[in-house]
Amino acid sequence: MIVGAGPAGTRVARILAKAGVRTLIVDKRQELGTPIQCSGAVSRHALLENEVTPDTEFIHESVYGFRVMDGKGGNTTIDYRHLKPETYAEDKDPLGYVVDRRRFDRYLLTQAEKAGAEAWLKAEAIGHSLENNRALVKIRHYNEEITVKTKVIVGADGVRSQVGKWAGLQTHIKLTELASCLQIVVDGVETNGLLELITGSATAPGGYAWVFPKGHGYAELGLGIIAPLTKLNAQQHLDKFIKESFLSDRFKGAKLLEVQGGGVPLAAPLKTQYADHIILVGDAARHVNPITGGGIHTALTGGSVAGHFLVEHLAASDDFTAKAMKGYQDNWLDATGHHMWKLYDIKREIFRKPKSEEQDELLFKTMSNYFSPNSEFKKV
Amino acid sequence: MKTPVIFDIGWNACINCGACIAICPHEAGFVSDFDTIAVNKPCDIACLICEDICPVSTITHREVEKKEITEKADDK
Repeated sequence: MIVGAGPAGTRVARILAKAGVRTLIVDKRQELGTPIQCSGAVSRHALLENEVTPDTEFIHESVYGFRVMDGKGGNTTIDYRHLKPETYAEDKDPLGYVVDRRRFDRYLLTQAEKAGAEAWLKAEAIGHSLENNRALVKIRHYNEEITVKTKVIVGADGVRSQVGKWAGLQTHIKLTELASCLQIVVDGVETNGLLELITGSATAPGGYAWVFPKGHGYAELGLGIIAPLTKLNAQQHLDKFIKESFLSDRFKGAKLLEVQGGGVPLAAPLKTQYADHIILVGDAARHVNPITGGGIHTALTGGSVAGHFLVEHLAASDDFTAKAMKGYQDNWLDATGHHMWKLYDIKREIFRKPKSEEQDELLFKTMSNYFSPNSEFKKV
Repeated sequence: MKTPVIFDIGWNACINCGACIAICPHEAGFVSDFDTIAVNKPCDIACLICEDICPVSTITHREVEKKEITEKADDK
């Protein structure tokens, strides 16, 4: 049974169901993807390697590269339409997409359901107990309380994971490692197929600001900050970014369409992502890129690892104790986790620098390198 | 020990982003019906980091008076 029908949970559900495992995925929401907490940027290869075919149903706009700016004249533009025109062009493939999370998550759920998974919405997992080598999960489905018996609970319930808390895992996140994010969707701001990232403590202390194309001529303007580094909140920083930054001229005609926000972990992955009859995936396990804050790719990949691990394990064993579940985390570390830990170390080094000027400079440099074609991390 | 507090949320500004729950050190369940930190029961940790993380600064608190705590206990 899977708790949470975001990219990670639906990925696990699809793999299990496809392998013939009886799979239930529950989500307390009535509409997936909401409330929107994320900008929705994801690379094309992240989708392809996780069996998601890019579809106009959920794509807002194609992107072809990045621009990293530091507000002091620093500007690194990495446009794959120029760097690799034989592969990336408007009439060929894009590098990635900005997706509509409502439609994207819904699409992923249909994939899981088509594979045979059963899905409940308006179904909140409110507690669990263990009995005779099985987990009993109490679900509040509409107004009914139902107990479901399962071999393994997959906690895919987000950064505020309740499953992780049931498991007694060390899920507590530090205030210095949760970015407080706010973004608005606007009309009237020009974009050019690039994800634009603006670093610097003057703009977004501890994080960065962004301008992403959102399709139909719309754009997302947003930022994430680390609260203890500033006296202003995300809303005030975003206001400043729009009205008083070096890009303000460009934002003059912005017409507000939507407001969204969230808490994005720029933290290390959880050291332990499993317990008796429980494994965690996605934001719940902190499978988030600690440099970019990107979480869709990492969620899909973690979901794939978990799904394949469970298919194999369910066929081979009836042991679901923590010791047996550890195999999932080992596989995940090999597939991507060690990489993520490395990114976390890089991020920590940046914010360990004593002076904010040094931090700013290093963050700009790291971000610029990160997206370059030669980056060793371009696959994250 | 810190004085327990009761949180109040300015619902008009709340964007329902969940950052307050994500940062909250409570055991599972310290949440409101609207997916924010709980507003109907005292928080005895009173670390107030939910107020710091809120992107729109819409969480405030008041200290619980001793009398209220005893009343709550009586209710149980």
